[in-house]
Amino acid sequence: MSVVTDSPVHSSGSDDFIDYLNEALDASSPNSSSDEEAENQDEFEDLSRNKRRKLESTEETEGSTSEGIVEQKLVVAESSVVKVDGCTHPGTFGKLCISCGEILDGESGVTFGYIHKGLRLHEEEISRLRNTEMNTFLFSKKLFLVLDLDHTLLNTTILGQLSSEELHLLNETDSLEDVAKGSLFKLEHMHMMTKLRPFVRTFLKEASAMFEMYIYTMGDRPYALEMAKLLDPQGEYFNAKVISRDDGTQKHQKGLDVVLGRDSAVLILDDTEHAWMKHKNNLILMERYHFFASSCRQFGFNCKSLAETKSDENETDGALAKILEVLKQVHCTFFEKLQGDLVDRDVRQVLSSVRGEILSGCVIIFSRINHLALPTLKRIAEQLGATCLTELDPTVTHVVATDAGTEKARWAVKEKKCLVHPRWIEAANYFWEKQPEENFFIKKTTTQS
Amino acid sequence: MQLHPRYFGRNLRDNLVSKLMKDVEGTCSGRHGFVVAVTGIENIGKGLIRDGTGFVTFPVKYQCVVFRPFKGEILEAVVTMVNKMGFFAEAGPVQIFVSNHLIPDDMEFQSGDMPNYTTSDGSVKIQKDSEVRLKIIGTRVDATEIFCIGTIKDDFLGVINDPTTV
Repeated sequence: MSVVTDSPVHSSGSDDFIDYLNEALDASSPNSSSDEEAENQDEFEDLSRNKRRKLESTEETEGSTSEGIVEQKLVVAESSVVKVDGCTHPGTFGKLCISCGEILDGESGVTFGYIHKGLRLHEEEISRLRNTEMNTFLFSKKLFLVLDLDHTLLNTTILGQLSSEELHLLNETDSLEDVAKGSLFKLEHMHMMTKLRPFVRTFLKEASAMFEMYIYTMGDRPYALEMAKLLDPQGEYFNAKVISRDDGTQKHQKGLDVVLGRDSAVLILDDTEHAWMKHKNNLILMERYHFFASSCRQFGFNCKSLAETKSDENETDGALAKILEVLKQVHCTFFEKLQGDLVDRDVRQVLSSVRGEILSGCVIIFSRINHLALPTLKRIAEQLGATCLTELDPTVTHVVATDAGTEKARWAVKEKKCLVHPRWIEAANYFWEKQPEENFFIKKTTTQS
Repeated sequence: MQLHPRYFGRNLRDNLVSKLMKDVEGTCSGRHGFVVAVTGIENIGKGLIRDGTGFVTFPVKYQCVVFRPFKGEILEAVVTMVNKMGFFAEAGPVQIFVSNHLIPDDMEFQSGDMPNYTTSDGSVKIQKDSEVRLKIIGTRVDATEIFCIGTIKDDFLGVINDPTTV
């Protein structure tokens, strides 16, 4: 079978195409309309498909090299990838290589279904894109921010799980026509009701000036897209940047492999630490937003929810407002105060140094803490910049205990040191600033709140 | 074509034809490509009753217009999404992706409200809803869709119609 010599894939010209068709189909009349061809080809189909396949594989090997190379050997096997100056296969769309059009069955690379269905990119291409992205964004002074949805930016409940004291909300929902003005939405088709966290719109607006934002949720894709429409009705923040659990590469874990930004420039805002095992250093832990009773119950709290008590988080003083300040501080430190090339700077270092200033100067001793909780508490305290000791010492500034009757607690009162509940440390962790110790004093009686 | 007994009666043939059109139009096969529209019924054979259920199977021969893109074919398509990896375009039921490796080097990606690819002098712009002429370099048929890879790196390919000037 003769081989078409002068037809590398990327050259133009209908003459080449006609020659190629002639060779492939042994048909006498070249047809230009694809519709007619399809119908005429039934008889030739099987035979011609084989011939076409052979031709395709030979053409692939020629790739984008110059014309006039006479292919001596016929590569018949379709699956073998002969890399003779060939394509590097940077990615696939519907299993076709996006650069040469060859069918690739391999599973290498990462699926980017959230950008467009069927898109898959391989390692080299992902790194290349990450690097070019870095340069564009650093140039415009933007870092990356990955936002969780549930309990971080909003709280959703299923309509059937509304408690009796929350039923009044059904009449107070905001219109879905003018989403930008509302914060409580009923989604009939999904049987859900969603409440956006106070301050969220201002938060998104101000954060978008400093960060390129992504949504990453453990909900499924339809849910994620609905929420994105509520948070961002104009599509200016999260266009093609909504990652759902269908797009993650690992079950029950979130990862930065599907985010097109380098790890050293990404910050994560999430209420669940164990979803980000590989990226704990990028994580800013958020205090959970429990508006609905079903959410409180899910986490084991028996108190009344915000909806039941007809109250809400403070708008200007709530978690989102505080975290926005932290983000501004990290952003400013990254771009203004760090030395060296922009590409070498690491936002994780900035985050840990900002975190380490919160309780710096505090020397802490623990007393009668549940020994399952103790290692975590110690780790948090050390990350916040405190020094933890095990023996009483004159340099100790705080004694953290759950009971005011212990030896160390009594020593603290005697020496006029601060005696606080472990929640003082947790509050510092959530609010990113040292909390007044008066709010966390332990009462002498053993009943604790 | 399988038909439920509720459709039997004087309108049997019409029901059969409308069910055929509903089921077949818009589907895709590897051999023929996309069925765009049924143009005529050639023949409806005798129905065979299936054992156990009341369904009756009719063999139907019909003619239709099919659409199947080929490698090397030049097509016109409408751009649906532009991003840093390239752009996605649609030509009827077919989704075509043109990666930035196959976009001429003088066109650069500009992000923003309306992401686009523009030449250095700003004369040519590819953005959402632009019409482009592209060449298919690979096709693959899935159960319900045809995926294609295209290029605009050759002569006479690229934007036909700029939506902003229309």
